[in-house]
Amino acid sequence: MKMIRAFIRPEKEQEVVLALEGAGFPSLTKMPVFGRGKQKGLQVGPVHYDELPKMLIMMVVNDQDINRVVGIINDKARTGFVGDGKIFVSPVEVAYTVRTGEAVL
Amino acid sequence: MKEITAIIRRDKLAETKTVLDELGYPSVSIQSVDGRGKQRGAVCDSDLDPELPDKYCTSVRLTPTPSTYALEHTLPKVALFVPKRMLTMVVPDDVVSKIVKSLIKINQTGKTGDGKIFVSPIESALRLRTGEKDGEAIS
Repeated sequence: MKMIRAFIRPEKEQEVVLALEGAGFPSLTKMPVFGRGKQKGLQVGPVHYDELPKMLIMMVVNDQDINRVVGIINDKARTGFVGDGKIFVSPVEVAYTVRTGEAVL
Repeated sequence: MKEITAIIRRDKLAETKTVLDELGYPSVSIQSVDGRGKQRGAVCDSDLDPELPDKYCTSVRLTPTPSTYALEHTLPKVALFVPKRMLTMVVPDDVVSKIVKSLIKINQTGKTGDGKIFVSPIESALRLRTGEKDGEAIS
């Protein structure tokens, strides 16, 4: 199993979530975060925004689904401009469902 | 070292913290998150969490008539989320199963929406105050 953490534009969140749901991956957790990247924020005229709001989408999926899920997020969240975000994939050893207490995703 | 990420009901947080205290692993990061699972954010029994606003109760559906069908299909689809609490803690390998077992015991209600627990590996840890590494940093 792998954990996917995707930092996306907040306005793209609904689109990404509905696309994932349509592809059979409805389970995820989201949280609002603030961050900056290579461009060190955003300069609009004299105003400098050091940290920009992003939506962090966290989901755990089976190994064979990684490419599909990352592909869907990439498709839906991309605008082609700086600030589209990043996707990180990290290993997860076990996932428990609290309701049943079983170690299944 | 392992990282335990538990996504649990909001009303179980206090109890969970007490039990973690008793186990001797009180260090935990807590975050308010919104989540959805297999049920796609639908909450059938909102009485499980009295704080939950009515809009989350999606179990009552209109009787299907041509007009309600038209209404459902013209409204833009919205992805629903349920407010949850996410606990993150880094613990030594040998106590992982003990902590997971007690987390499951406290948070289990047997109804959908109980949450998930993920265990993932952590390579290293550092305590900023003293510069201690790995094992000492999380003790």
